[in-house]
Amino acid sequence: MAYKQVSSRSGGALSWFLQRVTGIVLLFVMIGHYILMHYNIDSGHTYDAVLSRMQNPFYKGLQMTFVVLGIYHGVNGTWSVVRDFDLNKSVSWTIYALLVISGVVFGLVGITTLMSF
Amino acid sequence: MELTVRIQRYDPEKDSAPHFENYKLENVNKTDRILDLLNRIKWEIDGGLTYRRSCTHGICGSDAVKINGRNRLACSVLVQDLKISKSTIQIEPIPALPLEKDLLVDMSSFFEKYEIVKPYLIPKDAPPERERYQTNEDAELLFESAKCIQCGSCSTSCPSLWVNENYIGPAAFLKAYRFIFDTRDDATAERLDLIDTTDGLWRCHTIFNCVEACPKEIDITWHISQLKKAALRREI
Repeated sequence: MAYKQVSSRSGGALSWFLQRVTGIVLLFVMIGHYILMHYNIDSGHTYDAVLSRMQNPFYKGLQMTFVVLGIYHGVNGTWSVVRDFDLNKSVSWTIYALLVISGVVFGLVGITTLMSF
Repeated sequence: MELTVRIQRYDPEKDSAPHFENYKLENVNKTDRILDLLNRIKWEIDGGLTYRRSCTHGICGSDAVKINGRNRLACSVLVQDLKISKSTIQIEPIPALPLEKDLLVDMSSFFEKYEIVKPYLIPKDAPPERERYQTNEDAELLFESAKCIQCGSCSTSCPSLWVNENYIGPAAFLKAYRFIFDTRDDATAERLDLIDTTDGLWRCHTIFNCVEACPKEIDITWHISQLKKAALRREI
């Protein structure tokens, strides 16, 4: 078996770094989200309570951060796993395109939903 | 004590696929090395059994095999070091490399990856009259990585290599570290270019299999993380 070197610069350093940064931020945002939105009885879960909470810039910002970082972390992590496999270029690019498109679509759905409050 | 040694056998001229064969050994001492058991089988039972060994003292790194599911050096593991169930020890070739015969694998691609990272000093200046000096602190940065005996236990225990044969692998990264962090070397950018690739550094997911497999107890994952930081520093 002859080793073939694929020596194209991957730019993997930045995505590796951002994956870790978003992971750490998400951990705290997720804990905040669960405490503030699910386990705090005072915050209330009726339609009116949720509506008034989501109009608060702090909550809106928290959810926006959650959506953007969560989607980036998920898409980047999946792409990193896909790149572990020695796939041919066309399969690899198709998966990449699907990941980017789904990330953008879900991101837009999330942001427009949050902006509607 | 009596032991059964279960060995993966494969003769490309006779077998279509590898299979296991059992060998019963009597009068095995707890302090016998696994290599001693292989030698007994070869010398007393089946002379056709094929495996590598050279120095037999944990220096040359030629007898790396999978013992009870873990990559280890046959000459550095004693019978008493193993958890033995049903008086059986299982020995297989190290994975992820082409099988030649029995416990013998083709190491060509392993060493080709070594050569990729330019495992030699590349200084900018002409050699001085005497040696190139280093401080003790600078030299200490390299000591652990320089302990590598190139046995292949780390790279072949890495799941990233199992799914992608082009992955450069921990052994070559360790060698890259050895020179990138050498104060006498001036080819850091060149070497980082060679490992900051699609099949390079970023395929390492800090699984730690390499650390567990290393017979010299080198913290390979730590060394790879230093390379990742060095690659990142030049990006941001």
